[in-house]
Amino acid sequence: MIAQIDVRAVLSRSVCEFHNDLVTRSTGRAVRSGIEAHLQEHPDVTVVVLDFSAVRVLDCSCADEVVAQLLLRTEPGAERGRSTYFVVRGLDEVHADQIDEVLRRHGLTLVAEERGGTKRLLGLATGPMRTAWEKVVSHGSAVAEDLASELSWPVDDARRALDDLAGHRLVMRADAQYLPLTAA
Amino acid sequence: MTAVVEVPVTFDDRAFEAFATALAAAGPGARVLVDAHATEWASPFGLVSLLCAGQAVRERTGSKALLTVPADKDVAAYWARTGFFQEAEELFEIHGAVPKVRQPPENTVLLEVTPVRVAGDVHKVVDRIQDRSAAILATELGLEAKATLSFGMALSEACQNIVEHAGTGGWVAVHAYTWRRRLGKRVVVIAVADPGVGFRRSLEPTQARRYGDRWGDGAALEAALIQGVSRFREPGRGQGFRGIRKYLDRWEGKISIRSGTARIAMVRDWDEDVPLREGLAPFPGAQLQLVIPAQAEAEP
Repeated sequence: MIAQIDVRAVLSRSVCEFHNDLVTRSTGRAVRSGIEAHLQEHPDVTVVVLDFSAVRVLDCSCADEVVAQLLLRTEPGAERGRSTYFVVRGLDEVHADQIDEVLRRHGLTLVAEERGGTKRLLGLATGPMRTAWEKVVSHGSAVAEDLASELSWPVDDARRALDDLAGHRLVMRADAQYLPLTAA
Repeated sequence: MTAVVEVPVTFDDRAFEAFATALAAAGPGARVLVDAHATEWASPFGLVSLLCAGQAVRERTGSKALLTVPADKDVAAYWARTGFFQEAEELFEIHGAVPKVRQPPENTVLLEVTPVRVAGDVHKVVDRIQDRSAAILATELGLEAKATLSFGMALSEACQNIVEHAGTGGWVAVHAYTWRRRLGKRVVVIAVADPGVGFRRSLEPTQARRYGDRWGDGAALEAALIQGVSRFREPGRGQGFRGIRKYLDRWEGKISIRSGTARIAMVRDWDEDVPLREGLAPFPGAQLQLVIPAQAEAEP
């Protein structure tokens, strides 16, 4: 199940209805708690789309709390870990820069859809991961053998890149197939 | 006995050192008169630093310092329109006529002197600046529209240093003006200042041992600004200055921070500043200044 969360609306409920800006670390914590509470109430959600379209300013501290800490706390194996995939949507270039920066600092990666509809990976990803991800998205799915053939890679390299994507929750794995996060 | 501390005729970040030296020389128990009667101009950095001095003196001596209002009526009126006296009356015993503010601040004042104590204050500051600054940043400084959003980010991170680290409240002010002598261009200047614990004391518990004998105000400023070190150990901390620096790199802007007895600056080609000065007169807290110059395509 896919859930779309309007981050500005969470800000409004969690902090103040008149705020348009995701600034300060304490605000970020409150918004992240609001998102986590929503996920707790909906355990059947597997893909979460965080919609930033209505957010005006996003600073580094808030991006760290809302996005990076959310990813860290929901990693498989973490205290609140479960198989949840995250996508960020409605980012302008400045938002994307902030999120990219904080993700890199934590060694995290995330699928993003900017306001023009362009999809890309934010944060830290190897070249093969980015190449493989673009193929998965453009083809709608991929298997290691086909990817290897298309890119003239050894099959093991193609499989490693796809497994890395799945391990970072950037694609879903279904048996031998790797699927893009369908909401992205 | 009353110690007289003169406010320089032109009171900006450079002239600040003379002011800090005079204030330090006043001694811990003396009544202090901050004499601004001859002051002809003050930058936002000068105004918020004056407030820091007022709060520091009140905490140190238990009584308010005296403050003489600039004798020049236009200067006093400008200070009033910046919101300075509204904050100063809590901290100083003011001598001289404080002009009543009858008109809104001119568009050189993007943000009046505004107190910052809690996270909600940062929201208010960012909200106000977004509304007021977009046109000025675009037309007068030639910044792209998206730069206004980054400007809000930089301002927010600068103010959060007070909330997260100062241990007390502080102030922020943002003005746009022409920097004739130093640059010959329009600039937007953000000044954020607090009379709190300062960078050295904030970072000491986690960093002093790592630096050993080199530890001091200068090392603390380098750790925070250059290395992105925070007093908090979590890996996501210390990103604020990184974000500010990235924004300033994009627009050839400058940051300088004074704390304790040291001052650090990211110096640009257009400036003649020095990267680090140590052994300055002690001054409480931290005083930060961001300068964003007009880009080449800006309107004259």
